[in-house]
Amino acid sequence: MEKEQVKTIRTVCPAHCGIDACGILAHVRENRVVKVEPAEFPNPKDRRICLRGLSSLDITYHPDRLKYPMKRTGDRGEGRFERISWDEALDTIAERFKDIAAKYGWPSIGWTLGGPGAGTTKFGAYLRLASLTGSTRVSAWGYGDAGLPCGSRVLFGAQFPYSFLMGSFLAGRADPEMVVVWGSNPAESQPLNMMRRIMDAKEKGALLVVIDPRYTVTAAKADQYLGVKPGTDTALALGIMHVIFQKGLQDVEFIKRHSVGPYLVRTDTGEFIRAKDLGAGDSEDYVVWDRVSNTPRPRGAAEAKPEITGAFTVNGLECKPAFQLLMDLAEIYPPQRASEITGVPAQIIARLGERIGTAGSVTFVTHMGFTRTYHGDISLRALGTVAAVTGNVDAVFRGGHLPAVLNWRPFLHADSSRPSYSRLGILQLYDAIISSKPYPVKALWFSFINFLNQCADSSKIINEIFPKLEFIVAAELFMTPTARYADILLPVCTYLEFSDLIPFSYPYVQLQQKVIEPLYESRSDVKIAAGLAERLGFSEYFDGGEEGLIDLILDSGHPSLEGITRENLEHGPMTLYQVPGTDQEIDIPFSTPSKKIEIYSEALREVGQALPVYLEPIETPLRPAGKKYPLAFIQGHSRFRTHSMFANVSSLLAMNPEPLVEINPQDAAQRNISDDVMVTVFNDRGKTTLKARVTEGVRPGVVNISQGWWIDQFEEGSVNHLTHAIINPVQEAIYEPNMHMNDVAVEVLGIP
Amino acid sequence: MKKRFGLVIDQERCIGCEACSVACMQENNSCAPLIRVKTENVDQQDTPEGRFPDLKMSFLPLLCNHCSHPPCVDVCPPGALAKREDGPVILDKEVCDGCEICIEACPFDAILYNPEKEKAEKCNLCVHRIDRGLEPFCVICCEGQAIHFGDLSDPDSEVSQILTKKEAILLENPEGVEPSVYYCPPRAPRGL
Repeated sequence: MEKEQVKTIRTVCPAHCGIDACGILAHVRENRVVKVEPAEFPNPKDRRICLRGLSSLDITYHPDRLKYPMKRTGDRGEGRFERISWDEALDTIAERFKDIAAKYGWPSIGWTLGGPGAGTTKFGAYLRLASLTGSTRVSAWGYGDAGLPCGSRVLFGAQFPYSFLMGSFLAGRADPEMVVVWGSNPAESQPLNMMRRIMDAKEKGALLVVIDPRYTVTAAKADQYLGVKPGTDTALALGIMHVIFQKGLQDVEFIKRHSVGPYLVRTDTGEFIRAKDLGAGDSEDYVVWDRVSNTPRPRGAAEAKPEITGAFTVNGLECKPAFQLLMDLAEIYPPQRASEITGVPAQIIARLGERIGTAGSVTFVTHMGFTRTYHGDISLRALGTVAAVTGNVDAVFRGGHLPAVLNWRPFLHADSSRPSYSRLGILQLYDAIISSKPYPVKALWFSFINFLNQCADSSKIINEIFPKLEFIVAAELFMTPTARYADILLPVCTYLEFSDLIPFSYPYVQLQQKVIEPLYESRSDVKIAAGLAERLGFSEYFDGGEEGLIDLILDSGHPSLEGITRENLEHGPMTLYQVPGTDQEIDIPFSTPSKKIEIYSEALREVGQALPVYLEPIETPLRPAGKKYPLAFIQGHSRFRTHSMFANVSSLLAMNPEPLVEINPQDAAQRNISDDVMVTVFNDRGKTTLKARVTEGVRPGVVNISQGWWIDQFEEGSVNHLTHAIINPVQEAIYEPNMHMNDVAVEVLGIP
Repeated sequence: MKKRFGLVIDQERCIGCEACSVACMQENNSCAPLIRVKTENVDQQDTPEGRFPDLKMSFLPLLCNHCSHPPCVDVCPPGALAKREDGPVILDKEVCDGCEICIEACPFDAILYNPEKEKAEKCNLCVHRIDRGLEPFCVICCEGQAIHFGDLSDPDSEVSQILTKKEAILLENPEGVEPSVYYCPPRAPRGL
């Protein structure tokens, strides 16, 4: 009898923001979830769950969940609060926001949200409020995730490089001859759903290469592991290209068809030659050197057979094809030099260049990790350039190309008659709060973000940022390190308690269906935003609650959503875009200025970054002798957490109880540090005290603390007491400045 | 032919994530995972052997081997342990008196003692699921799709098919127990 009372509801665990989101079948008995299991998918390879998803019940039924709205009674950070009603909470917030806006303008109120992959409507609801009030949307990209899109935008003209670099995997094929996993650890972190594809490919014979300063679980599966020094990936890529070009292994046809490689570049200014420079007309079209007529011709000219190497003179202007300039750059990075910079043996670099150059097809699997260095955007460009010059970019639609992630237009342009929102990256927000540049920000709303725990330079946040804020609201599940600083604290739902639309995992869109009624007094972010909207005079924009906002996206007319409705999503995942037949071959027009892969970026010539030049990391010590802080500090991602989520789950803590700093035996011996002793990791910005783990799994000269542990879980300090908030102006100009979590110098000392 | 349910664990595909362990505890409400993942040849979890960068690391999921002739069944004084016709070695917790003799007898160190309930705990191959035509919970939750379940007596089953294609070994075992959990060892790195 009891069995019959259990019903199942298909929903989604969106915990791993971004391209993974597991379908979940929740078993419910009388408004209590009794079990979660991986839900079915059209392709059984996509039916998956991880140890975090399996801990869903531990989060939902965690005894420490915030149960009702509260207001602060002690000092900020002290953690003393008293219970208030929702009405009092929302009335207070509305009043304070109106006061602050009257004094400093609406842009002085900032919506600081976590990753959008973590949900569509819960993110969109706040964007809607930002847009309606003309306040500030604080972008989450800068928390370590802006380097990759900066590089990808320059090279491919797209926010993400995934469909170009691992298109075959995304299209469900597993047929490359070789897989190069560069700077990511899909066995434990994003892109998690690629790990099965990688292993399938390996099972079919693909050679697996893993490039990482840590010997990760993914590295343990490699046929060849390259233990690169952090922040030197561009030099490695240039060394690889040196070998490819020296042996003539580049894919000339691909370079001509899909990249700016044949376009002539003036050697004096670095600008592309334009058709108008040929002396006839005013066309801005690019120009190639036609080998048949031995003359310059506009790129579109029929019959033109462009050169991609050589040096030419056009109307008295010295010029070279862009590919020749890339060759000139790679020329000065023979394997020996690349080896000295990267720490990877020269013969390995030489052999890898040869293998990539001769393999029929190579899939490059990458993510954010290696782009979290000061010049991480260039690292991504360098990797993508290796793929491009060997013809391993999916530049032809074969079912693998993905549309843009669902756009936010319906939320950001709620009412075109009103002034729209302002936008700040997280590091730009620091300046706005501390020095009112470009304008003052005086109040922050935190939702699904553990700002203090996860953002760079904790001391700066505690001492310079929080004190300058007149008002802080946090909508949270738990009393996180950030929540302790809130003036008003609002209890939110877990994913089992509200509905949302999840445009992942690629290529699916899934419905996160509410499984149980919200526990305690918790509310969904949409409901919270609607309550505030009502008090600010915008209630009609939140009609229909979560479902209303889901329909708003589904009815937005975005081509990738054709035929997708809430009703049919209730039965299971749908494919996010209409796949033309996989036999259909269509050249992908890249969204770069040239519509081609920009292995040479004219726009970046003035900062000397037109090519993927190797520039030293800002802080990571490459020549440690005499340096005050000789060790490179990096923050790997652990399978036990998604950022700072799950850090308080007891079943996971039983397996992985505390933060550890991983240090190589060589470095440990020099400092007289042994396994399990307490050590202090420090630099000029701060310090943290925790246990040492002496392991060969991390490169000599590098120490690793996996990110996401809460500040109170350390003996003292935390990972971000060590990091810096230095803005890379080039990234700021391209898109948004990134935090360089893996470009930090430290020293480690044992505690006597 | 009589069914003989068992597992084939492909170490090449095991990423040591321990989702199987978390899944097991959830499904069986056990005091600790009845399947646990050991990092091979080292004491410390998730730690490679060798010297940087020439390293090696592989994972070994350990659980009851559902022996054809299980020593634990023979020694259990109250007769709480039994070998089912179709393969699983199961423990009847109602009958178990917590004497711990089976724990000593198990050649695979696969039986746990639950101090709270003062009873033994072991993997039952999720018989509550397989009797409904479902796979054991660890199998469907395995991130690497490394754990395969099926009838070792049926030559057409997935597990039998894998055994014909891949090298597989048994854990070191006393003569005559005949384990039903096979391991496909990880492939050696091929280099560039």
